[in-house]
This record gives sequence, C-alpha cells and structure tokens, in this order.
Amino acid sequence: MDPIIIGVAVVNGLMIGGIYGAVALGLSLIFGVMRVINFAHGSFLMVGMFIPYWLWKLFGVNPYLSVVVAAPALFFLGYMVQSVVIAPLIRRERALVLEPVSVLMLTAGLTWIMDNLALMFFGPNFRAVQLDFALNTIQIGILSMNVTRLLAFIMSILVAIGLSMFLAKTDLGRAIRSTAQNRDAAALCGINVSKVYNITFGLGCATLGIVACFMIPFYYVSPSVGLGFGIRSFIVVVLGGIGSIPGSILGGLVLGVVESVGGQFVTATSASLFSFIIFIGVLVFKPTGLMGKKV
Amino acid sequence: MSGAQISSGPAGSSKSLKYIIGIAVFALFLAAPLLITSEYILHILIMTVYFAYLAVSWNIICGYVGQLSLGHSIFSGIAGYVSVLLFIDTGLSPWIGMFIGGLFAMMVGVAIGYPCFRLRGPYFTLTTIAFAELVRIWLENTDEFLGVQLKGAMGLLVPLRGDAPALFQFTGKEPYYYTILAMLLIAMAITFWVERSRLGYYLKAIKGDQDGAEAIGVNSTKYMLTAMAISSFLTGLGGCYYAQLFRYINPERNMGIDISIETALMAIVGGQGTIIGPVLGAFLLTPTGELARSFFGGALPGLHLVIYGLVLVLVVIFLPKGLISPLRYLIRKGVDRK
Amino acid sequence: MAFFEIKGISKSFGGLKAVDNLSFHIEKGEILGLIGPNGAGKTTAFNMIAGYFPPDKGEILFKGENITGQRPWTVCEKGIARTFQLSKPFGEMTVIDNIMVGAFARSRRREQVYRKAEEILELTGMTPLRDVEAHNLTATDRKKLELGRALATDPELLLMDEVVAGATPQEADAMMKLIRRIRDNNVTILIVEHVMKVIMGLSDRVVVLNYGKKLVDCPPGEAACNVEVLKAYLGERYVNPSDS
Repeated sequence: MDPIIIGVAVVNGLMIGGIYGAVALGLSLIFGVMRVINFAHGSFLMVGMFIPYWLWKLFGVNPYLSVVVAAPALFFLGYMVQSVVIAPLIRRERALVLEPVSVLMLTAGLTWIMDNLALMFFGPNFRAVQLDFALNTIQIGILSMNVTRLLAFIMSILVAIGLSMFLAKTDLGRAIRSTAQNRDAAALCGINVSKVYNITFGLGCATLGIVACFMIPFYYVSPSVGLGFGIRSFIVVVLGGIGSIPGSILGGLVLGVVESVGGQFVTATSASLFSFIIFIGVLVFKPTGLMGKKV
Repeated sequence: MSGAQISSGPAGSSKSLKYIIGIAVFALFLAAPLLITSEYILHILIMTVYFAYLAVSWNIICGYVGQLSLGHSIFSGIAGYVSVLLFIDTGLSPWIGMFIGGLFAMMVGVAIGYPCFRLRGPYFTLTTIAFAELVRIWLENTDEFLGVQLKGAMGLLVPLRGDAPALFQFTGKEPYYYTILAMLLIAMAITFWVERSRLGYYLKAIKGDQDGAEAIGVNSTKYMLTAMAISSFLTGLGGCYYAQLFRYINPERNMGIDISIETALMAIVGGQGTIIGPVLGAFLLTPTGELARSFFGGALPGLHLVIYGLVLVLVVIFLPKGLISPLRYLIRKGVDRK
Repeated sequence: MAFFEIKGISKSFGGLKAVDNLSFHIEKGEILGLIGPNGAGKTTAFNMIAGYFPPDKGEILFKGENITGQRPWTVCEKGIARTFQLSKPFGEMTVIDNIMVGAFARSRRREQVYRKAEEILELTGMTPLRDVEAHNLTATDRKKLELGRALATDPELLLMDEVVAGATPQEADAMMKLIRRIRDNNVTILIVEHVMKVIMGLSDRVVVLNYGKKLVDCPPGEAACNVEVLKAYLGERYVNPSDS
C-alpha cells in the first residue's frame, strides 16, 4: 500500500479522532463524577448539531457563531434531564431500592425518545450546512487539509484543554473533582452534591454543543447520527480510561486512526469492526484503558 | 420465591386463584385463532407471543442474575442463519436445523459469556453490544465465507415449498401461531424449573452479592455460563422460528441492536426475574408498537419508539420491579378481602 | 498432621506488607481466637484462607491437603466456610432462601435443602424471621444470617469475622452461647474479634497479630498472652514489663 495514502489516512484519522475525543469528553466526565453511563450521549450531540443547522437554515446564522446559543442550550437541557429524571434514580439506587441497571435503561429510554422525536419532527433525511469556504484546504507541507475539519480539530483540543483547566483551577472544578473522588466526603465538606451532579451533566452536554457547531460545516446531521457517536464515545472512553481527559483525546485519536486506516483496506462500514475488536480487547485485557485510573 | 409449602388460608387461596386465572388464560390462547377473524390481528398476536418467548429466554440469564445483555439478537441471528443455510444447502428440515442452530447459538453464548461475566455493570452491557454489532457488521459485509453463500446485507431467502409441515412451512398462519405458543410455554416451564432448582437459587444469590455467594459454594462463572447456555439456546430456536415465519433472514432484521433492546425492554417493563413478567411486558409493548406503526407510521415515523422510550423511563422511575409488582399486590389484596 | 495449618504466608498490596510470614495451626474441635489492632492483617489472613485471593508466599493446609490459592467455592466444598466482616446478605431473597443457598452446597434436592435450612433457623433462633427479605434485617440479624448461611454448608472449619461487632451485651452473650453450641456440633472455629470479653471467653487459644506478624500464640489465661495483647493494642509504652 502506498505510504503516502496511508499517511494521508493517518492524518485524516487523527483529525477526526480529535473530534471523537472531544465528543467523548462529556461522557467521560459524567461517568467519572457520577458513575452514570449516559446511553443518550449521542442523542444530545444530535440535538446539538440540529441547533446550528436550524439557525443557519432559518436565519442564516454562521454555525460557528451558534456556539453562543448551542452551548448554553445544551447545558440547560443536560441540567434539566439530570435534575428531573436521573437524580431521583441515583438517590434511590443509593438506598438500594433499585435494580442496579436502572440508570442504564433510563438513559436508553431517553435515547429512544430523543432520537425518535427528532425523527418525527425533522424527518429521516441527512442535512448539511453549506458554507462558502467549506471546501477550502490549507497546505501544510505535503499535506492539504480541509479548513473546516482543521478548525474542528483545533477546537476539540481547545475544549479539552479548557475543561482540564476549569477542573484544575476553579473552585467549581475542585468541587466536581472531589465529588468524583468521594461524594460523601464532599458532602461533609459543604459541597452541594446534587448541584454538582446537575452542573456536571450540563457541562458534559455543553461540550457537545460546542463541538457540534464545529462539526456541522462538514458533517451531515440526521436523527440517526446519535447512535453511531454514542457507541464511538463508549469505545473512546474505554480506550482512554474513565475520567481521564487526555485519555479521552488519546482514545479518540486511536479510534480515528484505526477507522481511517482500516477504511483503506476494507469498506468503511467494515472498518468499524476493528473498533469493536479493539474495544472488546481492551475491556477484557486492560479494563483501566490505555491511560485511565482503576474503575 | 419462598420455599413455603402450599397451605390453606390467604396464601393458599391466592395460589388457587392464580391457577384458575392461568387455566382460563391458557384456554383463551388455545382458542384464539378460532376467535380472531382478521389475519392482521393474528399476525400481531403471533409477533407478541414471539417477543414474549424472546423476553422469557432473555430473562433466564439476565433477569435472575441482574446483568443487562443488549446483544442477545446475536443468538437468534446466528441460529437463524445456520438453520436456513442448512436448509438451502443440504435440504435438512428446519425442524432439525433449529436444534443445530440452537446448539451453535449456545456455543457462541458460552464463548462470549466467559470474558463478559468478568465485567460488571455497564461494561458487561457494552461488551454484549460490541459482540453483537461485530457479528452483524461482518455478516452485512460478507457475501461468501468458506464456500458458503451468505449474501451479506441482501440476506437469504428460504426456498418456498408451499404447504410443507415437515419442512416447517405452512400456508396458513395458524400453525405458526401454535408453534410459537408451544415454544413460549416450554420456555416458561423451563424458567419455572430453573427458578426452583439449585441453579435458580444460585443465580439469585449471585445477583444479591457475588462475593457472598462464592463464599458459600457458588462457582459463579459456571452457573452463569449454564444459564447463558440455556438462554442462548432458546433464543437461537426463536431466531430459527422467525426465519421460517418470514421465509427470509438478513443481518439487519435478525441481528439488529433494536431487537436486542426491545427484548430486554419487555422483560424489564414486565418484571425481570419472574416467570410472567416478560410475557406481560411483551403483551403490553408489542401490540402498542405495531399499532403505533400502522396508524402513525407514515406521518410520524418512529412514534412507537418514542412510546417505548416513555414507557421505559416511566417504569424505571415508578415501577422498578416491573408491571408485575402492582399486579401481584392487587391479587393479594383481592384475596385478602374475601 | 494438624487439622488446619498455615505455613509462612505473606501478602503485600503494593508497598504495604499486610501479612508477613504468618504461621499457626488449629486443632480439630478447638476455638482459636485471632486478635490484633485494626490493620494487623486478620481479615487479609481470612481472605487468603477462604480463597478470596492467594498468598504471595506460603502454604495453607487443611486436613493434610494443600488448599493454597483455591477459589472460594472449592474451599467451601472442602469444608471451610466463612462470614464477612461487612455482611453480604442476598438482599431480595428471604431469610430462608438465603440459608437454602448455603445448604445447596451439599445437596441438590429441594426438600432436603429446605429441611436443613429450617434446622439452621432453629439453631440460630431466626425462625420468626423466616420470610423476611434480607435487606430488611437489622445489622445484628444480618450477622446471624451470615452465620446461618455458612453453617448450612456443613463446614468442618468455620471462619468468623467480627460477629459481635455492634451487638449489645445481651446479644453478645447469646452469640457466645450459639458459638459454643456450634463447636459442640463438631465444628472447629477460627474467630476474629475485638470484643475482649467474647474472644477471651470463647477461645481455647489465642493468636495475636500486629503489622501482619504473629506476636504470640497461647491460651488466653496466661499472663504472657495478656501482655502481648496489651502491647499490640496500646503500644510498648503502656505496658510495664515488671508487672507481668
């Protein structure tokens, strides 16, 4: 196989992989702090992508500017879902009244509701935002990269860095981290644990809002994209380790490259086979992931 | 599930009341095809009983042990393919092919179970999804394997033989109905037997506390694999039935993640870890889904899934033990008032 | 050949040596007490004997057979049962069903298992609690259930981990009587306990652990024993050697 073609595939894989990593950040954060596996993660992304799409379609708003709408909107949505629907369940699970798999099923139910409401209202078609400069490329050395993808990749890294700094330096970030370590001890220190949970969930969804606005210029949206991203996010989180932000990006990069290079040898859909094999392999042989802490 | 013997008094009359209801319902089911004139409604009934069968089979491993498998359609899919291929390539009657398919499914079940059971909670679930999707995607992209025609995403058509009972093909719908009804009753009987046996007690103990169970002699891996073998075998038989019912099999229909999730949904909504729970869940959700699809499918696609999602969310929040818990409560209250 | 013997077992977790070259033996029919301050390595020793995890070094011999590193269910089948410090009831199952799980270790037949469970209920005084779901039990009753479950497996050696923790003096007395009755039923007992009255009152011999090492192994009445116990729990400074 021509090394240049492989090289291009690797670069493309890295770029899309960075995005996968950013998408998975929210999932990793939510699970790391609350031990909640959010099956509906992909669906939130889908909602996040429709916001800039409709703002562009109806009002001609540049999707990159829609971040100021999408991020808060998704924060709010996540906050509400967590406080109204999921929180009572977590409370009951603590009291051991509940079946252990309830939160999983609950979020699975949410996915169905969200994906299919979108289907009912928006129809199944794939839609894209057409921007003037969407097809432009930038030359870096021998590689030519699509501008929108490059912007999305850069934003993904920025979001990861921003989130890390937020968690490390701010009081709220510290509150979140301590709740993740030991929720009872955090509560005893005066931290309002339910508020932290709500904010964490909102934050996880807000990152999706940001990434979504940067994806819509080159990625099609439809009610069905949620599932694919949801599954990919799980693979990334398992690869990179729960609760680790750099792990999430790393896992995303690995997944992106595997998909992209694999896609050179077999059909694109078959390439996801490799992702699943790696996923199972990591779970069975190294459950803490490539970089993660003990589960 | 106490070891209490049958005695007279409120507990006793509750038991005889259950028998009476059970027999009446059974008679109703036997007579159903004679009472139903619309072929469409009979079809819905067949699908309902089929999903009840799948849910009961799923329940044997998942309901009692408390782990959530969302990849069970891998078993129905693999077994279905095996029996259809055997029929196409060797002419072997699907009645026999079913059992061979079931055995294949059982082997896959044990092979998957072994690594999966070491994982807890959501990791177990994700791994079951990964395995199921793995096989489905491979099948969708493979036209031929080791000389056998698989036809990838196009799927396989079961060669028509008209009215050929020996080859598991009938022209009317009624024989299909009675077949799946019999399968459901057998699956329920097996569940009943498991529940009362050492296997059942051990499974519930593993759910209660795996370490505690192991300390008093429960080889958790061995018993979970046993339950998985039973469950995957039965699910496999179901997949073969499905292939014969529609005379067609393809990766999307028979191995999709949708069927896996819907099966789990029905068992959970109805009541995991019980004999009747999964049946109740299937009887509530399948007709609802079918009707939603027919009446609104065009204008509002996906409505039935929104309904499923809502039911799931509501059940998880308000009735965590499934629909069966308020029902049991009502029966007991009704009896106590006598 | 001793009934039960551990020879030089050690276990480290990362840099911490929890159990350090521990050896002792148990005679058939005796009650051996294992004491020491928190972190001395008692539960770690238990866990290794019961097969929860294997020792890094050393051997565990039961009735002459080497059972080192065998899984918990195999150890149970060979005749060693254990209770946990933090009891592990099967929450949604009734008390009698919990005990039946234990009894199934010796028989597959439901009627037989059911009768055995009823006997255990009788022995431990839990008959009135028969149909209560385990997660509704009080802490003390949970410990009794834990004990009953272990007894249902017909053990020859029973490992008990802090069964009177949190019990009132009356409850502790009742438990002591129960333990003596169990020993009279031909069960050898290895008991870990902090309540001095209980463990000194019950044990035929006592092994004192500290920092994973065995300090002394003697009958509870002997002065040397008491000095070592005090030293382990309170520290060298509090014990004046000239008083012993």
